[in-house]
Amino acid sequence: MNEESAWVSQAQQGSDEAFTRLVETYQTPVYNLCYRMLGEPDLAEDAAQETFLRAFQHIRRYDEKRPFATWLLSIAAHYCIDRLRKRKFAMFSIDEEDDDGNTYELPDPSSPDPEAESMKGETRDRVQAMLKDLDETDRAAIIMRYWYDYSEAEIADSLRLTVSAVKSRLHRARKELAGLWQEEKPRSKPERRPHESPAF
Amino acid sequence: MNHRPFEDWLLNNQPLTPTEKLDLDAHVRACPHCAALAESGIELRSVRMVPPAPGFTVRFQQRLAAQRIAERRRRLWGLVVLLVGGGALLLWLTAPFLLALISSPAQWITLVIGYLLFILTSMQTLGEIMLVFLRVVPGFIPPFVWMVIVSALAGLGLLWTVSIWRFGRFQRGV
Repeated sequence: MNEESAWVSQAQQGSDEAFTRLVETYQTPVYNLCYRMLGEPDLAEDAAQETFLRAFQHIRRYDEKRPFATWLLSIAAHYCIDRLRKRKFAMFSIDEEDDDGNTYELPDPSSPDPEAESMKGETRDRVQAMLKDLDETDRAAIIMRYWYDYSEAEIADSLRLTVSAVKSRLHRARKELAGLWQEEKPRSKPERRPHESPAF
Repeated sequence: MNHRPFEDWLLNNQPLTPTEKLDLDAHVRACPHCAALAESGIELRSVRMVPPAPGFTVRFQQRLAAQRIAERRRRLWGLVVLLVGGGALLLWLTAPFLLALISSPAQWITLVIGYLLFILTSMQTLGEIMLVFLRVVPGFIPPFVWMVIVSALAGLGLLWTVSIWRFGRFQRGV
């Protein structure tokens, strides 16, 4: 029995300490998935915390035949998909609160240069910006494929889809991302300043 | 422009022969669609993990503690509401009988005693019938039929135990 299996087994018997070890081990993969899905650090933190709470509550139902990481990321992905679907309904009102009382913030128009700030964020994480335009489940599939190197079978297991559905979702999402990449390309090129060499 | 089979090669990320690689390179140079597919694929493969802010585990422990308190409080309130509601409902349903009982105790005491006597005499009669039955019936039934009956009862008992064990197990997987 490896260390992780021992922690899981102890956590199933009610050990808080063992579960804390699991939180320490998996905090980054879970947070990263939530961040890539939701796109905002505060929402990602909240979703990651909620994922671990749900895992803690249902740890007795965890099937040891599945990898623990897959089970955990599956909970995170489903939580984020549900949250994104709920958020769609709240998008009409900017100041509207979601079911957990979080508000959705837009860049402050009174800041010195909101457009420049916005552009900086866009170029900093271009892939993140493109992910936002994908369907929730396609986004989860892409994240699992490229951030976690999951096989199509593992993605299917995590998202409760068939392997052929995962394949078609991945293909569709990749084509959509390529389309967005093509659209974004001319915009993301930095504008040439006066007296600057055209080579830069 | 025909994107096949280049699009499939890029999407499936399958290993290519040197000739296929050359063909793909030539196509990607000429086709903006496949170039975008290749570039976005490279970008996706170079992505990094984002860690949470420091102190994530401590925040989780605090949240877990807060949730436990809230859960305990919710359970307590649930129990209080259930007890009060149940008590009120019981009182409302039994109010007419209670009033009758309080107003004439002699009548219900006679009723209860009569009922108990009826149960006792019924049990006695049933016992006598059973004794007669047990004395008469074994003579008519051959031993092998008894064996069949006992085996069938044992089998049913085993089936019942296995069913309880199977259905009583916790459902696995979330």
